[in-house]
Amino acid sequence: MNILKRSFVDSWEHLAKLWRFRSLLIALVGRHLKSRYRGSILGFIWTLLNPLLQITIYTIVFRYYMRFGEIPNYTVFLLCGLLPWQWSVAALAEGASAIVGNSHFVTKALFPAQLLPASVLLTNLTNFLLSLPILLLFLFFTIGASWQILFLPVLIFLQLLFLYGLVLLTASLNVSFRDTQHLVGHMTMFLFFLTPIIYSAQTVPERFRGLLKINPFTIFISSYHALLYDSAVVPLSSWAAMSALSLLFLLIGLLVFERLREGFAESL
Amino acid sequence: MVKKVHYTIELIEISKSFKRLNFANKRSYTTLKSFFLNPWKTLFDDRSVKRVAVQNITMRVPRGASVGVIGRNGSGKSTLLKLITGIYRPDSGRINVHGRVAALIELGAGFHPDFTGRENVILGGLMHGLSRLQIEERLEEIIAFAELEEAIDEPIRCYSSGMFMRLGFSLAVHTDPDILIIDEVLSVGDEAFVRKCKERVAALKAAGKTLLLVTHDLEAALRWCDEVIWLDHGEIKDRGDPRRVIDAYRGFLEKGEEQQLSEKNRQTDHYNTNLLDDQEKSVAFVEQNELSDSFNSDFANAFGVSGGAISLAEFKRWGSRELEIRAVELLDQAGQQRALFHGGDVMIIKIIYKQNEIVDDYHFGIAIRRNDGLMVFGTNTLIEGQTIIIKNDGVITIELKDFSLLEGSYLLDVAVHRSDGYPYDYHSAVLHFAVRSEKPRIGVCAPILTWEVGQL
Repeated sequence: MNILKRSFVDSWEHLAKLWRFRSLLIALVGRHLKSRYRGSILGFIWTLLNPLLQITIYTIVFRYYMRFGEIPNYTVFLLCGLLPWQWSVAALAEGASAIVGNSHFVTKALFPAQLLPASVLLTNLTNFLLSLPILLLFLFFTIGASWQILFLPVLIFLQLLFLYGLVLLTASLNVSFRDTQHLVGHMTMFLFFLTPIIYSAQTVPERFRGLLKINPFTIFISSYHALLYDSAVVPLSSWAAMSALSLLFLLIGLLVFERLREGFAESL
Repeated sequence: MVKKVHYTIELIEISKSFKRLNFANKRSYTTLKSFFLNPWKTLFDDRSVKRVAVQNITMRVPRGASVGVIGRNGSGKSTLLKLITGIYRPDSGRINVHGRVAALIELGAGFHPDFTGRENVILGGLMHGLSRLQIEERLEEIIAFAELEEAIDEPIRCYSSGMFMRLGFSLAVHTDPDILIIDEVLSVGDEAFVRKCKERVAALKAAGKTLLLVTHDLEAALRWCDEVIWLDHGEIKDRGDPRRVIDAYRGFLEKGEEQQLSEKNRQTDHYNTNLLDDQEKSVAFVEQNELSDSFNSDFANAFGVSGGAISLAEFKRWGSRELEIRAVELLDQAGQQRALFHGGDVMIIKIIYKQNEIVDDYHFGIAIRRNDGLMVFGTNTLIEGQTIIIKNDGVITIELKDFSLLEGSYLLDVAVHRSDGYPYDYHSAVLHFAVRSEKPRIGVCAPILTWEVGQL
């Protein structure tokens, strides 16, 4: 009982400190963003160029070479799933080394360690948000958008909580098990193909749908497709499921991170 | 709720140990496999091998006090600091720290090389818990103190290490600390800047800030601190009045060194006796005592001696052995074996010899070298005009009165040879000894001197 109580107090403290150190968090995010493009000629434009180049290749390969014919406006479809997916992958990959790669902060400076994974996540969120205009432009010039798009912030927020839980998990586990960062790379590669990003969930044969459903990313990406591409209503049950998933993963992430936190300074 | 705070730093029965990293023992490592096999045990079981870093430390630092922490390397000083600053959590005990801590542990920790000095100061200030507004207010002052007006908008990677340290120090002391924790960093930059740093620290002290100083520089501890805590093997060995504790600590270090030197000499002796019947003309014998190295760096720090006090001088022996030196002893006036002398002491060298063949041309000699090879003194019975008649076996005693060497580590050579220099038995670096002086004079010899002022 005591352990349970302490865990919840720790988790609460964890989140409260994120708020208390928000100006440092913002500064860290700013630094990440700046350092990402510092020294490059195109600078910030890369944020827009990266997804554009990527969908160009995907469109060529999947649309024209492999003829995924059933999906109209395939490029828009791709963008809807790919942008939030890119955010997740980048956050998880960078998040795994957030603590290990910044050991000098953890062992020498005095600020809450969760700022490191949190800043990684928020940096990539910013990137995602900055690349959204491309998606919206594509939408407006092809299929048009409906008022469903107003739910987008809610969806992004839920995904943020979900990803924060995952990033906390990878960041803290990677301190004692350096295998984590390698595993994360492979896991995200598997998940990329197991999540309906380059194909639509409807095209998957019935007997494999179960595999699709146990992947927590499916419901998030499908909801992006629904809101933006299909202009459809996301059913209440999906919102409930996503909320539950987000909170569950956030909780697991918080508990594991807080449990392992003591060991950070010693293991690094 | 009014809470009276008597102490800015309060530690109550703090203990901290670390999991021992045993590379030879595979089982002591947590692997991903063992984690998945038994996640509960990996995360919650703490029954692994431990190394105690600090144990049962209770200390209270009142507001405005200056406390020094001294002790040998590995005595737990840094762990203690990291516990106070909250980087480590104690295994047991309670820590209360009231007020903002500025830790000068690692200056400029968290500076990013690609960003300009200005950007780094802003970020660093946020890390120290300042608000953006407070940083803006102080930015110019921080830059001015660091003397970096010109370079502040260049990326940090273009800075010299001195500039880097200056910026780090300037930032740390401008964060309005209530508690200033200093770990051996009052020596950044050139002499002028060091003076400036010390003035700044003195000003903070005068302004009633609490000061925690971890140092090997005992003079600094003496000058700054109201109380000194001596840590040894993670426990408080002594505490209280700085003069008394520091003297006790110095005495402790001397005793330790004395022991080490005699240990070393015993090893040499052992080698000697083993080689009595050996016809080899020379033997090499290399010291490899890691413990002694770390010990000596403590010692060097404490006494301001630079470099490893005891060199890796090799014991060597050569000669034709018609006359043989069987043992050499270094004694004080009381006839006690010694390896540590003070300036002005009497030193007695005993050479125990054995005659293997009858020879009639023989002289005994001694030489003292400093451990860096400098020949300090050498003589023999031929130079001294001493005639010595030996019969079979015996002992020769040489007394050095008012032995006036300055602080340092020295080696002794002894030999018996013909008047033309042909060696019967030569022992090089047969004994090691150290000399301690009260005054930090420079050089090798200590003449007795007086100072007088007069009119021209």
